[in-house]
Amino acid sequence: MSRAAPYDYDLISIGSGTGGSVGANYASKLGKKVAIVEQENVLGGECPNWACVPTKALLHSADIYETVNNASFYGINPGKISINYKKIKAWKDLVVSRTGTSHAEETFAKDGIDVLRGHAHFIDPHTISIDGKRYRSRKFLIASGTKNFIPPVEGLEESGYITFREAIDLQKIPKSIFIIGGGPIGCEFAQLFSSFGSKAHLIEVAPRLLGHEEPESADLIKAVFLKRKVDVVTNGKIYSIEKKGKKKSIKYSDGKTAHHIEVDEVLVASGKRPNVDFGLENAGVKYDKHGIKTNRFMQTSAKHIWAAGDVVGPYQFTHTAAYQSRLAGHNMFARKSACQAAYYNCIPRTVFTSPEVASVGTTEEEVRKHGGKPKIGMAPVSILGRANTSNQTTGLVKVVCSHKGVILGASIVAPRAGEMIHELALAVRFGHSAKEIANMIHAFPTWSEAVKVACAKVQ
Amino acid sequence: MNHVVKRHGHTQPYDERKLYASVFASLNAVRVPVEEAELVANQVCKELGSWLGNKHEVTSGDIHRKASRILSAINPDAGYIYKTHRSIS
Repeated sequence: MSRAAPYDYDLISIGSGTGGSVGANYASKLGKKVAIVEQENVLGGECPNWACVPTKALLHSADIYETVNNASFYGINPGKISINYKKIKAWKDLVVSRTGTSHAEETFAKDGIDVLRGHAHFIDPHTISIDGKRYRSRKFLIASGTKNFIPPVEGLEESGYITFREAIDLQKIPKSIFIIGGGPIGCEFAQLFSSFGSKAHLIEVAPRLLGHEEPESADLIKAVFLKRKVDVVTNGKIYSIEKKGKKKSIKYSDGKTAHHIEVDEVLVASGKRPNVDFGLENAGVKYDKHGIKTNRFMQTSAKHIWAAGDVVGPYQFTHTAAYQSRLAGHNMFARKSACQAAYYNCIPRTVFTSPEVASVGTTEEEVRKHGGKPKIGMAPVSILGRANTSNQTTGLVKVVCSHKGVILGASIVAPRAGEMIHELALAVRFGHSAKEIANMIHAFPTWSEAVKVACAKVQ
Repeated sequence: MNHVVKRHGHTQPYDERKLYASVFASLNAVRVPVEEAELVANQVCKELGSWLGNKHEVTSGDIHRKASRILSAINPDAGYIYKTHRSIS
């Protein structure tokens, strides 16, 4: 195909995950000729196949197991209970299948979107090559996601490790597991494996777990993990990992003392790096180690190329990818005056531990760093009627406000924090004050009453 | 089989010997002993081959950028020569 050939498509989306598919569908509905490129065997990207969806299905099983284990306290005798992990995995597979990724190709076809299989590589700004076949498009949407960052630890490669991708498909629960990385993924797997009886070791290089969260939330989750007998190490440094028979021998330090343990499995959850190996230089798309650079309209340095999802950041969430992808799909075919900019000040964030951790907006530390004098309101969930009736007293709500009392951010640790956070996200989005939320009637007895109390305490 | 799209648009099969020769020449230009230059040139070819993997088509610019990064990490002086030689020639 010569350079002068007409375009095969109006839009080619590189990546069939949320960041690619939402924009592709949007463009298709506008009557554009659209294709999606996917190099994985399955469509749909990370979230439904290996990340959010399967981990939440497994965590649901873990939660049921723990609930049943503690049922006798509430007058229910479940008898002898046991774990059938093959069935748990089958449940997880069922959940994944219900997302529709297995028949996504037919769904795309129904929507008039072609699926091109293989690795895309830009040959020039308007041409990609997939397995030697070239496709030209007027516009592109890059949503190529991320890959795992594997830390340079002596002996890690040789002794073997798993990432979240393999962890969701284990055939049995490891008796002991060493989790590298105390971010959301590491914490969720520490929750999962410890629930099923594994001895979990969680090591984080930073001074605290969940480094992007408020220190109160992070400290509380650390305390919860320690109570669950998870060995939590912060300020950690791993010296070496060595395979010894079926075990892995690990030497590490907690910043003060050197330790040596043997475990069955090592799980690496130390962050992700953007997938940018697509010949982006040939298309004039600028990127760095954090990802592809875009303006607020999701447009890259190449005017006809947009980007969305984890490969862009600043958050690596499915809901952020969907938001960015819809904006990209809209903006690339809209008049300049009708283009919509991305705002990230009210993106909710949830970690599915037990209790959950959720947050939105800015933290107290960030406000102070920028010279602000925030007003803070905090409430423990232990004071709630719901905490009494559920016998779950661990948790808190923290609200960060401007000096005028407008809510700038909030953090919640509670059993339903992921649901509760949206009230505060709405407040951040529309500039409501803590007083307005405090004056709202909240149903008794609900976890959300803690939001009301925290807002009432803002000073 | 990997193919290389050249600057003017024509395509030819990837030839590792060309890469080896240009990397070796850069190492030679900064007076790296022959035996060491051979080892480094081999390493660059190996790492680049691994990056090429199942990519069917890449541009000559891609190869130059990637080889330049690999070589610069091993020998910054030779990497500089390799990187700048093309823009002068």
